Amino acid sequence: MAAALEEKIGLKLTPATFKVESGKIKEFALAIGDLKEEYLSGEKVPPTFPTVIDFWSEGDSTSALLGVNMEKVLHGGQEYEYLAEIKAGDEITITGEVENVYSKASMNFFVIKKEYVNQNGETVLIAKSTIIERH
Amino acid sequence: MMQTGFEFKPLVKQEITHSQLVRYAGASGDFNPIHTVVPFAEKAGLGGVIAHGMMIMGFIGQAIGEWVSVKDLAKFSVRFSKMTRHGEEIVVTGKVVGETENRWICEAKAQNKEGEVKVKASFEVKK
Repeated sequence: MAAALEEKIGLKLTPATFKVESGKIKEFALAIGDLKEEYLSGEKVPPTFPTVIDFWSEGDSTSALLGVNMEKVLHGGQEYEYLAEIKAGDEITITGEVENVYSKASMNFFVIKKEYVNQNGETVLIAKSTIIERH
Repeated sequence: MMQTGFEFKPLVKQEITHSQLVRYAGASGDFNPIHTVVPFAEKAGLGGVIAHGMMIMGFIGQAIGEWVSVKDLAKFSVRFSKMTRHGEEIVVTGKVVGETENRWICEAKAQNKEGEVKVKASFEVKK
């Protein structure tokens, strides 16, 4: 593996915070077409809502962190481990780092691990994303 | 009745539209133009815009929420295998494949009407 790639292991995301609002939960549920009352009222969040926290917390973009071209980036996989409930009103802070980097079939794979902690210091979620850079 | 081998009721989604991709971009905050801007996606060699993989994971999440209570969902992971485009209709199927003392181990997949598998998922539900 190229040394430049290996150097990305351990790169840390700048921590970013997002306040969960019921209107945002509803907007996200509507975009998916998942019209459960508990989402529309903001009482609960859909299982993939953490992606909203990723993007709207306006932390480092993955392409900027990894130094890759957005045109060449694909999402290979996503994993969530749910430890506690996320609900409207919560302030969630994300920390994360590049856990692994490898090359396969002339593509580069980056595994990013993130932890989501609420305003009470409770870890509510652990996520792992696999990002693929095409050549 | 949950038991190993149990098959959940498939979730049939409406045809994906380009507008839905734009709407999902705004809702999720993922504004990568490969999902919304046709000339950009063509230049990127994708032959047109592709759906956000996370939206298809969202469809599977929708199905899971219809099959079990989301508060019991402990783990949910996916691998994105094929690109999805507007005009496609996605069906989500799932089944229980095993159990531990306190978890149901389940699998799901999202495929189009032609049977092309777009996303494969595994998930664990608290008993």
